[in-house]
Amino acid sequence: MAQASQPLVSETGAAVRRTILDGFVFAYLVFAAVAMVLVGDENLASQVPQFVVWFLGLTVIGAGISLAVSSKGIKTLGWQIYAPPHLRAKSAEELATPLYKTFWGMQVILTVALTVIIGVQMTQIDILKLLEQDRFEHAMRLFGQLLNPDWSILPKAILKVIETIYIAFIATAIAVPIAFVLSFLMARNIMGGSKLGFAAYAGLRTLFNVSRSIEPVLWAIIFSIWASFGPFAGMLALLVHSIASLAKQYSEIVEGIEDGPIEGIESTGASRLQTIWFSVVPQVVLPYISYTVYRWDTNVHGDYFGSCRRWRHRYDVDGVLRSGDVAASGMHHLCYRVGGVGDGCVLFARPRCD
Amino acid sequence: MSVAGATNGTGMNSVGADTILSIRNLTKTYPNGVQALKGVSFDVKRGEFLVVIGLSGSGKSTMLRCLNRLHHPTSGEVLYRSKEGSVVDIAAAEGEEILTVRKKIAMIFQHFNLIPRHSVLRNVLYGALGRTGVFKSIFGLFSSEDEKKALEYLKLVGISEKAYYKAAQLSGGQQQRVAIARALTQAPDILLADEPVASLDPATCHTVMDYLRRVNQELGLTIVCNLHFLSLVRQYATRVVALKGGQLVFEGSPMDIDEAWFARIYGEGAKEVHIN
Repeated sequence: MAQASQPLVSETGAAVRRTILDGFVFAYLVFAAVAMVLVGDENLASQVPQFVVWFLGLTVIGAGISLAVSSKGIKTLGWQIYAPPHLRAKSAEELATPLYKTFWGMQVILTVALTVIIGVQMTQIDILKLLEQDRFEHAMRLFGQLLNPDWSILPKAILKVIETIYIAFIATAIAVPIAFVLSFLMARNIMGGSKLGFAAYAGLRTLFNVSRSIEPVLWAIIFSIWASFGPFAGMLALLVHSIASLAKQYSEIVEGIEDGPIEGIESTGASRLQTIWFSVVPQVVLPYISYTVYRWDTNVHGDYFGSCRRWRHRYDVDGVLRSGDVAASGMHHLCYRVGGVGDGCVLFARPRCD
Repeated sequence: MSVAGATNGTGMNSVGADTILSIRNLTKTYPNGVQALKGVSFDVKRGEFLVVIGLSGSGKSTMLRCLNRLHHPTSGEVLYRSKEGSVVDIAAAEGEEILTVRKKIAMIFQHFNLIPRHSVLRNVLYGALGRTGVFKSIFGLFSSEDEKKALEYLKLVGISEKAYYKAAQLSGGQQQRVAIARALTQAPDILLADEPVASLDPATCHTVMDYLRRVNQELGLTIVCNLHFLSLVRQYATRVVALKGGQLVFEGSPMDIDEAWFARIYGEGAKEVHIN
C-alpha cells in the first residue's frame, strides 16, 4: 500500500547520506580517542559548547575525507548502508577481500573497539570491589532483611496491593484504545505511502520517544502537584507512560505483519480503513493482547527504578545507606504519598526499620 | 481516469469493440531504481483466457498489479473498455477511482492472501467490501444478498461444506478456491491470477486451473493469468504473451511456442518441465 508516490532514491541522495554518515563516524572516532584520555576530568562540563563546535568541524573534515576516498572508488561505511541496490554488485576481487582489509570494515572495527573500551572505562568496572569483605557483608545484611519481612504490616500491604491492581487496570484500560489508534499512525508500512503520512509518522515517533524516556515517577511528581497526591495522580502517571509504551510496541507489531493479506483485501476495492481493519487488525490482535497483559503487569509492579533513584539521592546526601532509608524513603513515599504506584508488594517485603 | 470523448487522449476510441484491456507502452520503475517494465503493449480480448509467461523477475507480477493498480505504473496507458462500451485509462486513475478499478478487476494470488484466522465465508464476503459502507463492514453487516452470493460461489468452487471453517484450516488448493470465490463475489469484469498454482501440488494444480477455466467459460469472465508451467499454458490458455526483462517478446497461440521460442523466452539451456 505504499508505492509509487515515493520519490526515486537517487544516487545523489544516497551520496549525500553516505557523506554525512561517514563524517559523523569520523568525528565520533576522533572524539572517542580523545575521550579515552579525558574520562574522569571534572571540568569537562564547562567545555561542552566547544566540544559541539569541534564535533561539527570534525564532521565536515570527515565528510571531506569520505568524498575524497569515494572519488577513488573505495567503498565507505556510508556507501555500504545507503548505496542503491542497482550499484551493489560486487566484483570477484571485492568478494575475496576479508572484512578487516576493506575500508568500511576498518571503520566498523575501529568504531566498535573504541566504543567497547570507553564503555568499560566509563562504567568503572571494578570486580575486586565485589570481593571486599565488609562491603559484601553489608549487602548481604540488606538482602537478608528483604527475605525476612515485617509481617505486622501485611493487612495494610494487601489493601495496597488491591488498590495498585485496580489503578493499573484503569490506567491500562484507558491507554489501550488510544495506543491502538496511534499504533497505525506510528507504523511505517501504513503511513509511508505519502509525504504527509510520513511526516505524521516521524512526528509521532519522535514525540513518543521523548515522552517514553520520561520515567513514570517524574510524571507522578507532575501529576501529584496537578491532581494532588493520591491514586488519581498515580493513575495519570501510569497512563501517560502506558500510552507511549503501548503505542510503540503495538506499532512495531504492525510493522512486522505480512503484506499478502493486505494485498488480498486491497484487491477487492476495499477502502483504506477497511483494508486496515480486515487485513492488518486480524494479524495484530493476538500479539496486542499479550503486550497489553504484560503492560498491566508492569504497571502493577510500579517503578522500582524511581525508588532506586531516590535511595541513590539519599545516599549522596547522607553518605550512608541505612536499611531504614530503603524502606522509609523508597517504599513509603511512593505508596502513601502518590498512592499505590509503588506496589504494595514492595511495602510488604520492606526491611525492618530501626 | 477519464471517460473517452471527454478528454480524448491518445486514441482511446481506437480500442476495438472486442478488446477489454489495451495496454500501451506500460513502464514501471520502482523507487529503488529497478526497471520492472520497459514499455509493454498488448491487447486483452473480452472473454479470453490470456496467460502471461516469463522467468521470475521478468515483470509478470508487476504487470498484473499495474492492471488493477495495486502498483502504480510510471508511464503508459491501460485502457479499459467496459461492457457498456465506455473507455477509461486505468493508469491515470487517482484516489477513489483506483478503488473503482479494483472492484471491476479482481485478483487471486500465489499465496492466496486470505485472512487465515477468519472463517471461509467471511473471507468470501470480503469480496463485497467495495460496495459495503465502512461502518457496516466493520460491524460485519453485509447485505443478505451478498451473503447468498458468497455461499453460491462457495458452492461453485465446491467447498460450501467448509464455509464455517477457519481459512487456515483448509489445504492450499481449497484456500485458492476460497480466493476465487472471494474474487467472484466482487462481481468483476476481469480476473487476474498471479501464479495461482505455483505453491500447489500437481493434482491440486489442475483442480484450481479447471475452476478458473469454468469461471472463464461459464461466467464469461476474462482471465489474465501468470503461469510457470508451459504444459499448463498449452492446456488452458486461449492466447499467450511472454515477457522477458520487462519487455514483450511473444504474443500468439500457445501451440506456437516451439523449442526455439522456449529458448528465447526462458534462455538457452532452460529445460521444459512437464506437469501432469
